[in-house]
Amino acid sequence: MTTIDRLQARDTGDPSPPFGEPGVGTEPSSLLATNVSAWFGNNKVLERVSLSMEPGKVTALIGPSGCGKSTFLRILNRMHELIPSAALAGSVVLDGVDVYGPELRVTETRLRIGMVFQRANPFPSMTIAQNVLSGLRLSGTKVANPDALVQECLERAGLWRETRNRLNESGAALSGGQLQRLCIARALAVRPRVLLMDEPCSALDPISTSVIEDTIRELCTDVTIVVVTHNMQQAQRVSHNCALFLVDGEGMPGHIVETGPTDQVFNDPVDPRTSDYVHGRFG
Amino acid sequence: MSQLTESHTPAPPTPPAPPSRVDGEPRNDRPIRQRRIAPEMVAELGGSAVSALAMVWLVFNLSGVSAPLGFGFCWLAAFLTVYGLLCWRRHGVVAMKDRLATVAIWVGALLAFIPLVAVISYVVLKGARAVFSDFPHFFYADFSNYTLSAPTSAVGAGAAIVGTVEQVGLATIITVPLGMLTATYVVDHRNFFSRVVSHVVDAMSGSPAIIAGLFVYLLWVVPHHQTGKSGLAAALALSVMMLPIVTRAAQEVIAIVPGSLREASLALGSPQWRSVLRVILPTARVGLVTAVILGVARIAGETAPVLFVAGGSPNYNWNPFSGQQDDLPLRVYQMIFQAGGNARNDAWGVSFVLVLVVLTLFLLARLIGASGPGRSLAPWRVLRRGPQRSGR
Repeated sequence: MTTIDRLQARDTGDPSPPFGEPGVGTEPSSLLATNVSAWFGNNKVLERVSLSMEPGKVTALIGPSGCGKSTFLRILNRMHELIPSAALAGSVVLDGVDVYGPELRVTETRLRIGMVFQRANPFPSMTIAQNVLSGLRLSGTKVANPDALVQECLERAGLWRETRNRLNESGAALSGGQLQRLCIARALAVRPRVLLMDEPCSALDPISTSVIEDTIRELCTDVTIVVVTHNMQQAQRVSHNCALFLVDGEGMPGHIVETGPTDQVFNDPVDPRTSDYVHGRFG
Repeated sequence: MSQLTESHTPAPPTPPAPPSRVDGEPRNDRPIRQRRIAPEMVAELGGSAVSALAMVWLVFNLSGVSAPLGFGFCWLAAFLTVYGLLCWRRHGVVAMKDRLATVAIWVGALLAFIPLVAVISYVVLKGARAVFSDFPHFFYADFSNYTLSAPTSAVGAGAAIVGTVEQVGLATIITVPLGMLTATYVVDHRNFFSRVVSHVVDAMSGSPAIIAGLFVYLLWVVPHHQTGKSGLAAALALSVMMLPIVTRAAQEVIAIVPGSLREASLALGSPQWRSVLRVILPTARVGLVTAVILGVARIAGETAPVLFVAGGSPNYNWNPFSGQQDDLPLRVYQMIFQAGGNARNDAWGVSFVLVLVVLTLFLLARLIGASGPGRSLAPWRVLRRGPQRSGR
């Protein structure tokens, strides 16, 4: 079942099957990381991190800078290996399939597990509509009704009203928050099962941030979301589950101190360091 | 340019309006233009120049020396001395240093500019007469009517233009894909082999042009005996020259494509080749087009590589794959060594056409270089649009 079929099926009211072809499913997937360690050269940056990201939930990764949150996120969709000196151990399992195993090609993995970066990075050589569809072009997926897909993705990213009249213009005139939402729309167009967000709001003003947070809350029924954030309030506002990363000392690898439902992590933490960190008594 | 501001000490900030002043009355907010050229400065410069000229003229006349170049240098030295003294007396030692440095830089720039303008204008002056005496005959005629006594109006650069266009076109077709692939490889893969390739490209761009000609002569022309000398052979030799130029320039342009775009495309599940083809090259598009055109302009005027592989021919030869072919630099070279009254004039005419071709290409490169991302590169669009607007 292709994207087109799915769109047509939606238009005609046919129920979509729960799972489609790789990269075109609309059901959220579960993601399970087990004993993930990571190195840059000989420097170990992550120590045996295990985390279960539940389907249809928002998982927030919090912790101070340099404790390996972003590295962990990039390991989940195999972006970590783009850095020449990078190495890793452990396993990442997407719906029972090891993403580092032979069953999934690396491009397939990244198609299923989308990513939004800290700095908005739309393609400057493309128009707004082309940017939204770029994932399909880049992965070689055909789509019969691109206009509908553009509209749908921009709507889901909360950008449709602002850009509907200038879809064929360059995105250069958009504001920072709009650009970030354009990147979210672009990531959604390939219909990922999981969306990784690496501090998506760190360069944005409070209003853009709140729009993106709304977007995250709306998306999480369709997509499993993992979001890295430095903002405790944001983690409380958007996430269902939370994982705190910490480093024990200079040059030591980062590891998970506590995971659990966000309410519990913030209000009734097991580890005293968690309590210190989330209440700002730390560092 | 700080010397321009020197005589105008920045005015103190406009004092706040006195309380008695009625609201709405225009305040004293005349703009202060720090970079305006003051009449006083012009007077100083002009006065120094005139007095230095008079002094040097007097000395040269009294001593009876006649040396234009020496006169120029003495005048310059005297001018700098007089101007320096003047500034020192009037504005102090710091201002003197500042102004002397500014004047020295201006003079240096002008001196460097003179030979450039001289070369171009001399070719235009000498060549325009040959080219436009019987316009547009010179652009389509060939040299088959050339005799020792033939006037310039009997011959033309048509065959050479055809040769140059075909040879450079073929060289571009060969070079552009190779250059783009090499540049992409070198930028995207940082390993031992790519460093070797990068160094080889650098070394190639410094290799003498005659070597390129010799290389093709021995590897292509000699094995093919009769049919060896052709437009294709010339194109091959030009490719050897053009490849490092295009590769080097493309490398620079591709390297400045932000890594975040590369990551973004890969994170969308793109294979690397599609990421290069659909994201990196389009992003670098304008720079790549400029790189190619600069490469073309550079090789269009090369004589040494085509010297013994194109063969040269006074007649039209439209087929670059067989038979000897003419081209512009080669025609200039041959006419210079021809005996006969008008041969030199003909050579000037062909040179003029060559300069015209190269200038057109450079102009095109500048126009395309001025267009921003997401804009069409179609020449008519570029021309209508003009230089890039400012802003994001």
